[in-house]
Amino acid sequence: MKREKGWPHSEFRKYIRGWYLACLFVSFFLFCGLISSSQKIETQPYELKYPANFGGRFTIPDDNPTTKEGVYLGRLLFYETKLSANNKLSCANCHQQNMAFTDGKALSEGVDRSLTDRSSMSLANLLWVRNFFWDGRSPSLEEQAVFPLTNEHEMGQSLNASVAKLRTTVLYPPLFQKAFGTDIISENLMIKAIAQFERTLISADSNYDKFLAGTYNLTAQEERGMALFMNAPNPEKMIRGANCEHCHGGQKTFKELFHNNGLDSAATDPGREKFTNQSSDRGRFRVPTLRNIALTAPYMHDGRFSSLEKVLDHYNEHIQQSPTLSSFLVNVSNKSGGKKLLLTKSEKMDIISFLHMLTDSAFINNPEFSNPHLTLKKP
Amino acid sequence: MFRIKSLPLVVILSLPIISSAQNADSFTITGEVTTALDLKKSDLSGYKQISHKVKDRDNKEHEFKGVALFELLEKAGVSTGSKLRGENLAKYILIRAADGYEVVYALPEVDPEFTDQIIMLATEKDGQALPNGEGPFRIITPNDKKQARWIREVRSIKIQFAK
Repeated sequence: MKREKGWPHSEFRKYIRGWYLACLFVSFFLFCGLISSSQKIETQPYELKYPANFGGRFTIPDDNPTTKEGVYLGRLLFYETKLSANNKLSCANCHQQNMAFTDGKALSEGVDRSLTDRSSMSLANLLWVRNFFWDGRSPSLEEQAVFPLTNEHEMGQSLNASVAKLRTTVLYPPLFQKAFGTDIISENLMIKAIAQFERTLISADSNYDKFLAGTYNLTAQEERGMALFMNAPNPEKMIRGANCEHCHGGQKTFKELFHNNGLDSAATDPGREKFTNQSSDRGRFRVPTLRNIALTAPYMHDGRFSSLEKVLDHYNEHIQQSPTLSSFLVNVSNKSGGKKLLLTKSEKMDIISFLHMLTDSAFINNPEFSNPHLTLKKP
Repeated sequence: MFRIKSLPLVVILSLPIISSAQNADSFTITGEVTTALDLKKSDLSGYKQISHKVKDRDNKEHEFKGVALFELLEKAGVSTGSKLRGENLAKYILIRAADGYEVVYALPEVDPEFTDQIIMLATEKDGQALPNGEGPFRIITPNDKKQARWIREVRSIKIQFAK
């Protein structure tokens, strides 16, 4: 009776042996896991350096910490033409370092020879951006990178095809191993590396930064321009201003805002409305950073203004009324009861002189941001 | 010539935009809530209507009408009243405008067990719907001397834990 209820002895031994083998297997895989995770620990953290007054309001995804190995890999990929359908374009075609990572064109030409819908944006201080593109439709650098890589009017190649090309190279598999602990290149890791590099593109060494740090003396014209940039016009108190600061202010000269800045009375590009589906977003676009603004002509989402003078003329004289025009651009005037800003020609020049203070030559010449393929030793 | 020729094309391309524009503006209440809400102006008629006569940025007095923010938070199931204690006191309200502008309030600033001030989500000013660029929804905080937190064009109200 007992034997019938309990385990036969041989069965019991088999059972134990089964468990023993299973434990052995599990331990083996755990051991392998430990080895691979210890490989990841070998990466060195990349220190993101920025002035304290830039503030720490940014988020780096937990699953993509910034490492020296990842940043270097991302930099190679940023300048890698194999990521385009015709092997001729890299990210750097539309984002050239000497123009603060723009391309000097109103609209850019993709692999299919057609033009992009909107103007190439400067890549500076993206660490503090939370919603990417002119319409803010993308919430992370990782997600954002997919669009230009795969869009048929830009680099025009599926991530899958890019991965396949990189896998055939001698260069990349060991670099993925160093950065991510695996030499099996994947879409996800490729995107992560590019995002890591983009996070390092910090511009914080312009004359304006030096002025804020107390190590640069303003010229008389820059001082006048800065006052006009910062002040809201108040004719009753005899304060002249252009109120640029309201949307472009702060130490970074960037606030994450989206406004219709009166380019057209009837917007041909719906802007943020296409993303939010709310009619009050018609013709709203990102208020871009003014970092290196003197280097990033032409201006606006469609590159319609070829110079800063034309941009100032727009805000001073040509704001177009529409239902979604930013309320910060309505009836703002240096004359009591005036409808337009009414800056003088010399005041506009003063503001432009201040805008030139935002040029960061250390940023555009930083060898850590340049094309690494040019100095790479060919195997 | 180019403009005239391309006009029909522009009109055709704009059709989907025009049709989508029929969506009424709304705002959301999300985050640490029991019921996430997506409210249009018409949805607010079911709440008690209140008004505040206060000086705005133009230094002139205006009469704002709307509903108490607290009532909306209660509807969404935010921890209020007797539940607003312990770790719930580390929650804050992040309000975001259509243009991306953001301001923060702590929950006790809105709760009548903590304060007599009634923070309002306004929809009217001086008998008129709030104008473009200000409405359709704007926060009015009478005890704030500076109007920087009287956030205009409210799109989202999110309750979060400080981490």
